[in-house]
Amino acid sequence: MKIDFSLVTRRTFLNTLFGGWLVAFMGGSLYGLLKFAFPTLGKEPDFVILKPEDFLNIPANSVKPFAWGGKLGLFFKHSNGSTTALKGVCTHMECNITYIPNDKKFYCACHKGWFDENGKNIEGPPPKPLEFFDVTIEGDKLIVAKKGIKVELPKA
Amino acid sequence: MNCPRLKNWFSERYNFDEIRDLAKKKFVPNHKYEVWYYTGGITLFLFIIQFITGIVLSFYYIPYFEHAHKSIIEIVTKLNMGWFFRSLHHWGAQIAIVVLFIHVWSTLLLKAYRKPRELIWISGFILLGIAIFFGLSGYLLLWDERAFAAVRVATGGAGNLPVIGEFIKAFLRGGIDVTGDTLTRFYAFHVSVLPLITICLIGLHVLLVQYHGMSVPISVKKEKRTETPFFPNFVYKDLIIWLIVLGIVVTLATLAPPEIGKKADPLAPAPENIKPEWYFLFLFQTLKLFPGEILGMNGETIAILLISAGILFFVLIPFFDRKSQRDERSTLFTWIGIIYFLYFVIMTVIGFIS
Repeated sequence: MKIDFSLVTRRTFLNTLFGGWLVAFMGGSLYGLLKFAFPTLGKEPDFVILKPEDFLNIPANSVKPFAWGGKLGLFFKHSNGSTTALKGVCTHMECNITYIPNDKKFYCACHKGWFDENGKNIEGPPPKPLEFFDVTIEGDKLIVAKKGIKVELPKA
Repeated sequence: MNCPRLKNWFSERYNFDEIRDLAKKKFVPNHKYEVWYYTGGITLFLFIIQFITGIVLSFYYIPYFEHAHKSIIEIVTKLNMGWFFRSLHHWGAQIAIVVLFIHVWSTLLLKAYRKPRELIWISGFILLGIAIFFGLSGYLLLWDERAFAAVRVATGGAGNLPVIGEFIKAFLRGGIDVTGDTLTRFYAFHVSVLPLITICLIGLHVLLVQYHGMSVPISVKKEKRTETPFFPNFVYKDLIIWLIVLGIVVTLATLAPPEIGKKADPLAPAPENIKPEWYFLFLFQTLKLFPGEILGMNGETIAILLISAGILFFVLIPFFDRKSQRDERSTLFTWIGIIYFLYFVIMTVIGFIS
């Protein structure tokens, strides 16, 4: 069928075609580039396994650091001898905290934030309490896990 | 030396008269505020120093988290003049940022941003942002405890922006945490991404200044003024001042080489009395003002939003300041400029002494 009048001129048709091609090409390239430049995010671990002999014997009222993924974890023995573990990262701006045994408090040097020994934010800018973990011992393994995570160890 | 044949070779192919005429046509207005015109040139000169010292430092620096800290120690202890060039790079950066701030505020208070120069103001502001990002990224390359904590806070702060925050944070860090990946990424920003953007933007900035000519402050616009030819008179004055600045930077670099802290350890507590670089102190001090929670909302998010709003207003001042667009005195915006300046200075001083 031959049409007498066309709705678009040849020039408009070609411009749209080439323009569209250019946009699609640039968009696709940019998408690929961004996909590459943007990192594949890792994830915080659900649990870590430590050696009990390294941690259970620390003196009362002290902490020992361990690696919680890429972050600082603190194994903590209260002055009454009970043990627990927590993420040693300030809830304000993610600086690493430290334990001050004399005051029985956790302290962040970056913006002077304080937490009590139960991790409650008591002074300074931190908006939330510290995150505590569940600590269990299975045989020769000390398992530190996120609260509410069921740890299933691979059968050896 | 006179080489007529070489001259001929070029003049047969290129028309030098045009360039010569262009240089002859450019004049700089004389008035009592002209001293502030030099700050832009000084910044340019310091950026050139940064480029040159940066290039030689990159011959030896190793952008890998296990070797980065040690490679800097080797640069300053084992290489010929290594201590000097690292120190010069450090002090060049510090003074460049000081002069940049002076440049920004003199532009603001003299209303040099007013129509038709809005784009010069905006390109200049982006350059200031880039200079600060240069500082932050260069600073992490040390990979010492202070840099590690500072970058965690700075990238974490960006993460508090609503919607895009998490995206920016992960993009800057190259992961969920500040790790060796962040170091490599910041190295790429510092030596390739930022310098390329800087060159383009400085080109645009300077080109626009040539296009519009130098701004004359409103208060002296009606007075009778004389003009100085840019070439050679003003260029010579510029060179004299550049030489003085070079003297200052070299003196500082020689007498006060910057320290290198302990190697960063992701599991060590943040060091006591940790403070960011001085040009972040006003932000650092502002963040300290906000409590963790305001009316049930996250205090940081509110703080970051307010700071962003303040900065956005600052960038858009040329568009809000209607009076100076019409070349009328605009006292309100002089005061706004002074308030911004005082806030910056006071917060920086408090951050310094507290």
